[in-house]
Amino acid sequence: MKTADIVVVGGGIIGISLAYGLARQGASVTVLDNAKGMYSASRGNFGLVWVQGKGLGMPRYAEWTLEAAEKWHNFSQELTEKTGNVIDYEQPGGFEVCLGEKEWSLRKSELEQLRDEFPGGNYDNQMLDRKQMQEYIPEMPLGENVTGASYSPHDGHLNPLKLLTALITALEETGAALDTDQQVESVAYRKKCFEIKNAKDSYYAKKVVLACGLGIKELAQQVGLNIPIRPQRGQILVTERTKPLLKYPFVTIRQTHEGSFMLGASHEEVGFDTETTLDQMRNIASHAVQTFPELSRLQLVRCWGALRILTPDAKPLYVESETCPGAFVVTSHSGITLTPLHVNLLPKWILEGDAPGGFEQFHLKRFDA
Amino acid sequence: MLKRYGKSRGKTVSIWFEGQPIQAHEGESVAAALLTSGVKYLRHAQVSAKPRAPYCWMGVCYECLLEIDGEQNQQSCLIAVKDGMRIFRQSSAAENT
Amino acid sequence: MMEKTFDLVIIGAGPAGMAAAVEAAGHKLSVLVLDEQPEAGGQIYRSVNTTERLRPETYALLGDDYQNGKKLQLSFHQTSVTYLSGTVVWLVESDRTVHFLRNGSTNQVTASRLLVATGAQERPVPIPGWTLPGVMGAAAADVLMKSSGVIPSGKIVLAGNGPLLWLTASRLAEAKAEILAVLETINYSNYLRALPCLPQALLANEFLLKGLRMKSVVRKAGIEVLSGVTNLHAEGEEHLQKLHYTHQGKPRIIDVDTLLLHEGVVPNIQLSSQLGCEHDWYELQYYWHPVLDEWGNTSIDGVAVAGDVGIVAGAPVAEASGHLAGLDTAYRLDRISKKQRDDAAKFFRKKIKHNNAIRPFLERLYSPNPEILTPKEDSTLICRCEEITAGQIRKSVELGALDLNGAKAYTRCGMGQCQGRMCGLAAAGIVADTLGKSPREVGFYRGRPPVKPVTLAQLAKDENETIVS
Ligand SMILES: Cc1cc2nc3c(=O)[nH]c(=O)nc-3n(C[C@H](O)[C@H](O)[C@H](O)COP(=O)(O)OP(=O)(O)OC[C@H]3O[C@@H](n4cnc5c(N)ncnc54)[C@H](O)[C@@H]3O)c2cc1C
Ligand SMILES: Cc1cc2nc3c(=O)[nH]c(=O)nc-3n(C[C@H](O)[C@H](O)[C@H](O)COP(=O)(O)OP(=O)(O)OC[C@H]3O[C@@H](n4cnc5c(N)ncnc54)[C@H](O)[C@@H]3O)c2cc1C
Ligand code: FES
Repeated sequence: MKTADIVVVGGGIIGISLAYGLARQGASVTVLDNAKGMYSASRGNFGLVWVQGKGLGMPRYAEWTLEAAEKWHNFSQELTEKTGNVIDYEQPGGFEVCLGEKEWSLRKSELEQLRDEFPGGNYDNQMLDRKQMQEYIPEMPLGENVTGASYSPHDGHLNPLKLLTALITALEETGAALDTDQQVESVAYRKKCFEIKNAKDSYYAKKVVLACGLGIKELAQQVGLNIPIRPQRGQILVTERTKPLLKYPFVTIRQTHEGSFMLGASHEEVGFDTETTLDQMRNIASHAVQTFPELSRLQLVRCWGALRILTPDAKPLYVESETCPGAFVVTSHSGITLTPLHVNLLPKWILEGDAPGGFEQFHLKRFDA
Repeated sequence: MLKRYGKSRGKTVSIWFEGQPIQAHEGESVAAALLTSGVKYLRHAQVSAKPRAPYCWMGVCYECLLEIDGEQNQQSCLIAVKDGMRIFRQSSAAENT
Repeated sequence: MMEKTFDLVIIGAGPAGMAAAVEAAGHKLSVLVLDEQPEAGGQIYRSVNTTERLRPETYALLGDDYQNGKKLQLSFHQTSVTYLSGTVVWLVESDRTVHFLRNGSTNQVTASRLLVATGAQERPVPIPGWTLPGVMGAAAADVLMKSSGVIPSGKIVLAGNGPLLWLTASRLAEAKAEILAVLETINYSNYLRALPCLPQALLANEFLLKGLRMKSVVRKAGIEVLSGVTNLHAEGEEHLQKLHYTHQGKPRIIDVDTLLLHEGVVPNIQLSSQLGCEHDWYELQYYWHPVLDEWGNTSIDGVAVAGDVGIVAGAPVAEASGHLAGLDTAYRLDRISKKQRDDAAKFFRKKIKHNNAIRPFLERLYSPNPEILTPKEDSTLICRCEEITAGQIRKSVELGALDLNGAKAYTRCGMGQCQGRMCGLAAAGIVADTLGKSPREVGFYRGRPPVKPVTLAQLAKDENETIVS
């Protein structure tokens, strides 16, 4: 029989972040993951720490994202000091390009809505026309279809694989257990205690956190929660390495620290299929080349499809079961961006019920209507 | 460090490597022509920038990548020399970071 | 203008691809053959026509085994087959639309049936220092003789094992190259393992004789031959200068300009895995290969495989398996009856059986050197493109990687331009060894396009355009 204060199911970025945060608060934590290869969201994502455009229709989320972005600088420094792992985090500000007039006016009205909704009203994203945009990146001539871009000084990027490695290293230093060969099959609530079972073992814990991405749906039902999440495929292309060309990350184009360009990602409703498709690869390449003709000569060396974990409004879901108190579900798209909050704020909620203000907005109840 | 075996009946071909003229023979690969004329390496490794030279000679290892006539990333072990070809080493990503 | 659809599209114009084309065209199928080399011939007959025309001394040196390729090449060119040289296939879709790169632009064609005949590559040999200029494959040196009539100059050492090591050594010896030594890495237990298979091998004794002849050429040239060599280690600053190794327990060092490494050849499975064909692990020779029925059909409907890509068995078997695949294609597209197919197949099956008689012996004798299957020294580079070491791969297992793809995600191993061709088998060996599992359990890199890199411009322009031949 194995016991822990808390069992976290899921060793992606969210599960590891929570476990690390919980362990730092002194809890004894065990993480169980089934390591199903490299196309989970945490390994197959784009690596943006992204604020602009987030939170339309839910100002608390816009705020939450901004709060995370503001914490990133210190958070990444601490993580590097602790583990010796560099994660290539940079926050130079970021762009989302507009191709054609229509995209520009659409983006502009979205931005205005976000600004109107934003609490306090100091929303500092802005629209740049083509000329203003080019001034930021004089060394990268814009394609003729580019009409401009939205810009936010809060946006940044990092290497998500290095982030995951650093967090795992930090977690292991706390003494918490991480077992990557454990497919959790059931979670049962018995006398204020949870029995978490896989093919080999049973774990007993006072609390259980389901942070296993698309695997949440099935397990959550066993603790009385009906979680509306679905997979959405994103395909990403990676080019050969080249000399530094682009200082700023774009939502769809960024140059990594290694020198390669990441391009993407598509948004496809194709269930659990992680294949790549030629038409999407073509679209992504064509978008990149239309934005920066300079990229045409770069070789594509890799591509993949990874699955987003989306709630109906694509915003985070933080919820504790009412029928089985002590069972938590944590899932979010943009799980990279939110990492500092997941490490620093969510553990208090899980351990002591001490939640940040306005936290109830991230509850399941928002989908009841 | 390579040398030609026997005589070639092929036409003599002039190619340019890093701005210097090199004599080669019709029907030779660019990589072979360069290494027979004393060139010791073709590319820099992507991370350490250390010198690299062809390993497989059959299109597998990508250690022979060169810029040929303005086109980047050409597998020079698979490309035959042509008169007047302009060939350069590529700048490695590592040299710039 | 060229057709946009063919009864049969063949990728690879080696012995297997050419034979399949000849067979299929003989049954009135429309056939397209695509190959990245400038000339048809594959690895064994590479540039045979150019060599004969331009480099008579090399042509003579390469001998009958090479010159025989002319015959097959001639019958291939006499058919109605459409053949595109200098053409790289970079992606095949599940509906058998084949995307290829030719003269700098992408194009596509659709096949009723597809034959993957992409052959083999030399197994990479990751010893410490193998990335130094001056270190290359031994079969690679053979390729170089064929493609350009060029041989290494200065002091040469060959190290490793397998028939192609001896083939290259004997050819270089005949060319009067300055070979210091042939260092065999096989250990004596291999002889014991192979011995029981010798009687069967004697059924095809012409191959054994060929092997003995190659060895005697080397010995007659006065070249030192050592067996049971371990701890190979190449040293140098900007170029190879010294080779370290251990023989009979004693460490030795020699000055050397060229080191030719060889540990056999392995199937070229990039396309079959990108297509999603089922693969299996071949324990005796430590490689992955597609699972095939007796005609070479894969687990994917309409996709077959012929030649070394299915199982490494040499040119005569490759050629015969090409005929079998061609016959089966003709049957499935209603050009011949089942009986006609089966009758015609008998001749080729007999040939395969004869040639395969020696394989159990050779595969046991020349099983790859365990030191390169799981390189022990942490500092040895495994992934040449991303410069990932054996130690980093081991570390990824400590962090939780449970298979090769997991290790790839943690380390970037296999993410460079060669698409994992150079690191895959050794990286898998290390992951397996660290986990205490077999390489079969840790799997191989998931096949993803592009099989060979294309530029973004080429990809963006890869529309349904017509093909100009
Ligand atoms: C294409 C793409 C691009 C993205 N780009 C960005 C971006 O730029 N910025 C950003 O902030 N976010 C981005 N995201 C979103 C981000 O990647 C995710 O929000 C985040 O990775 C979610 O992490 P997770 O740990 O919840 O899920 P996952 O990464 O899916 O991890 C869940 C883990 O649980 C395991 N598991 C599942 N079921 C079980 C079970 N029953 N037992 C044991 N283990 C189990 C899985 O194997 C997996 O390891 C992107 C996502 C995608 C797909
Ligand atoms: C480097 C090397 C040298 C060898 N030398 C000899 C020798 O001298 N004597 C001997 O008996 N055996 C030799 N062999 C063994 C040899 O592989 C077989 O004897 C025989 O050539 C196998 O025939 P095949 O038709 O199956 O494949 P191959 O002859 O390998 O032909 C495969 C063809 O496919 C093409 N191809 C592969 N991928 C693509 C792609 N993506 N797009 C387009 N074209 C593609 C290649 O260019 C090649 O021409 C050698 C093997 C190797 C790897
Ligand atoms: S030498 Fe290996 S690809 Fe050219």
